[in-house]
Amino acid sequence: MSSASFERGYHAFKEQIDSSVAAYFQSCVSCGMCAEACLFYTETNNPEYTPIYKLEPLRKVWEQEYTLWGWLKSSIGLSRKLNDDDLKQWQHYIYDSCTLCGRCSMVCPVGNDIVSMIRKAREGMVAAGHAPEGQIGASKRAVTIGSPMGVKLPALQAQVRHIEKDTGLTIPFDTEGADYMVLLSSMEIMNFPEYLEAIARIMKQAGKTWTLSSQAFEATNSGIQIGSTDIARELVSRVVNAAESLKVKTVISPECGHAYTAIRWEGPNLMGRSFDFKVKHIVEVLDELRAQGLLKTEGFEEQRLTFHDPCQLVRRGGVVQQPRNLMNMISEDFVEMPDAGMMNWCCGGGGGAAAIEEAEELRTQAFMCKKNQLDEVKADALVTACANCRIVMEEGLEAYDMDIPILGLTELLAEHLVEEN
Amino acid sequence: MSQKTIGASLRSQGISRRGFLKFCAATASMLALPPAVIPQIAHALENAKRQSVIWLSFQECTGCTESLTRSHAPTLENLVFDLLSLDYHHTLQAASGDAAEHARELAMEANKGEYLLIVDGSIPTANKGYSTIAGISNIDMFHEVAKDAKAIVAVGTCAAYGGLPKAEPNPTGAVSVEDLITDKPVINVPGCPPIPMVITGIVAHFLTFNTLPELDSLKRPLSFYGQNIHDRCYRRPFYERAQFAETFDDEGAKKGWCLYKLGCKGPTTYNACATAKWNEGVSFPIEAGHGCIGCSEPDFWDAGSFYKALSVPLSGTAQAAGYAVAAGAAMGVAAGAMNMAKRNSARKTHETVSIDDLEREQS
Repeated sequence: MSSASFERGYHAFKEQIDSSVAAYFQSCVSCGMCAEACLFYTETNNPEYTPIYKLEPLRKVWEQEYTLWGWLKSSIGLSRKLNDDDLKQWQHYIYDSCTLCGRCSMVCPVGNDIVSMIRKAREGMVAAGHAPEGQIGASKRAVTIGSPMGVKLPALQAQVRHIEKDTGLTIPFDTEGADYMVLLSSMEIMNFPEYLEAIARIMKQAGKTWTLSSQAFEATNSGIQIGSTDIARELVSRVVNAAESLKVKTVISPECGHAYTAIRWEGPNLMGRSFDFKVKHIVEVLDELRAQGLLKTEGFEEQRLTFHDPCQLVRRGGVVQQPRNLMNMISEDFVEMPDAGMMNWCCGGGGGAAAIEEAEELRTQAFMCKKNQLDEVKADALVTACANCRIVMEEGLEAYDMDIPILGLTELLAEHLVEEN
Repeated sequence: MSQKTIGASLRSQGISRRGFLKFCAATASMLALPPAVIPQIAHALENAKRQSVIWLSFQECTGCTESLTRSHAPTLENLVFDLLSLDYHHTLQAASGDAAEHARELAMEANKGEYLLIVDGSIPTANKGYSTIAGISNIDMFHEVAKDAKAIVAVGTCAAYGGLPKAEPNPTGAVSVEDLITDKPVINVPGCPPIPMVITGIVAHFLTFNTLPELDSLKRPLSFYGQNIHDRCYRRPFYERAQFAETFDDEGAKKGWCLYKLGCKGPTTYNACATAKWNEGVSFPIEAGHGCIGCSEPDFWDAGSFYKALSVPLSGTAQAAGYAVAAGAAMGVAAGAMNMAKRNSARKTHETVSIDDLEREQS
């Protein structure tokens, strides 16, 4: 059995440094704007949480391996080589204090995609054995059991039976040629089964065929979060194979931001080819149904609602207007929080960070950011479209004794569906 | 064909004496000659035999010929063909194939030692096969025709200084006319393309005085290339007041301010664009809103970005600095290749990470 080692990690760093990484490090002017964009810095004022500083190990490898000055400096002893203690120390910066939310990449005045480099740096950390325990566990469960939370097919089938009994609707498995193949995140299966019920009702009203796959129902990609291309590819290929063998037209990524990024954006690159099907986030699909007149709702929420934008949806996917179209269908008093849309602040626990137990205190501190946004709009309830954001924010609200319920957008819409006879 | 005098030829084509004198006056003023020589020009031209010209096109884009056909000045387009007997020009002549080559041989024979050779395009030396006409390589044809020519006019920057084909890395080993000729007068008429009036003006000078015009150190006629564009530019007052356009669409650009900061090479470029202008005197690049790119100067392609402001004249120091930059760039490319090799080898030796590899071995 092979195992992680510093050498493997160093090797992986070398592999990851391509022309864009080199150009990014070369262009960084140390302006510090990325710090102001990162909630781990703004809520702690700790300069060590400056996004570009979190990349110091990768930068060091770039400088010493790929630049003349760096090579000279390290060969005459002016700069120290990267060592295992550095990586051990940086685990906190690269995992605990980064949710891959991408806000830093948006503000960089020289156009450096900083978050893409954190993603790359994680490849080295994984190979060196410096990934957080929580994420290692999640990855192992994802590969062996099929879900990072250890949810097996029988657990899903039990939930499905429960929903079918309650609603009288059928939830199809492995239907060939369906319009949509619906993916779920473990969190939805265990904590928010309302999501699946909502899908069943909405699809029925819209007259679309859909299916779950018994081979691949889990959308969460722990490989992306921990930062291992090899594991990510294994996980994404399960979904791709299932979708292609069922010959579905579209795969719907669930209310989960990073799952969407994993299959929609990283997926084809991991597989090295384009897919035979389309990939859409559930919010994109719902807005399409709305535009086609296939999503009919009645009544309005009277309470004041606000919407939390999942980072991957707005910043990776550009899905900004769609959830607002849907919110306006069912809300009379919809208010936008400050920085809503493209630059909305992260929940504080995405990109696998929520799985890191030892970082809980830091997460709570970073949640001050969302708390301030919520205090400003004084909403009665918070709506979002990511189960992970939802869990993280529920924990955050609890930590600050805030009594604001969080709702999933899909289930909220389903509650207002026009009842058919 | 070349037996008729120019005067007879013009009259047979219905060109009036008045029109002819206007042309002579314009020629005199273009060549910066005193008005007293106008009758001399008229007399000379009227009685001169039409000058036999052989025009050879090598590695070029035909832009110089295009420029010539757009010549204006007193019905110059007609007159140039009446001043000259253009015996060979493979773009403009009607004959083709053997007949065309035969015409060239006849003209060379009949006007031995008297014909004018005009060349556009650079001449490849790395391999004879890079550019041939009728199966004859450029360099062979050039030497054959140049041998008995009275003088050689290198039209366009390619013929004069090598131009674009000679730009780094010069894959064809392109050289200019001057590089190959040491025993004959050579006149350079650079520009990409040159102003048509300059081409005809030089020919008129040659016919009138039977001498070559005065040339500068780069063998350019001083009458056209004696002053730089900047000194004659209508935007010069803005330069003096330090009013510069900073971008191509800012207020300064709209107000017609100086384009120096946008990379205009007017201050280091010697040509007549600012005075003679183009398209019947309508405009020239700076008037159209774009800086001069310095196309009549040697190696203008390799002198850095067209949009980089000049800070120093393109003199020796700049050239040394240029070489230093080029050397740096070459080292950069080499380092880049090494880095890519390093990364690729790292990728080739990638060890797949499985879930069994996520932790260190317990020791």
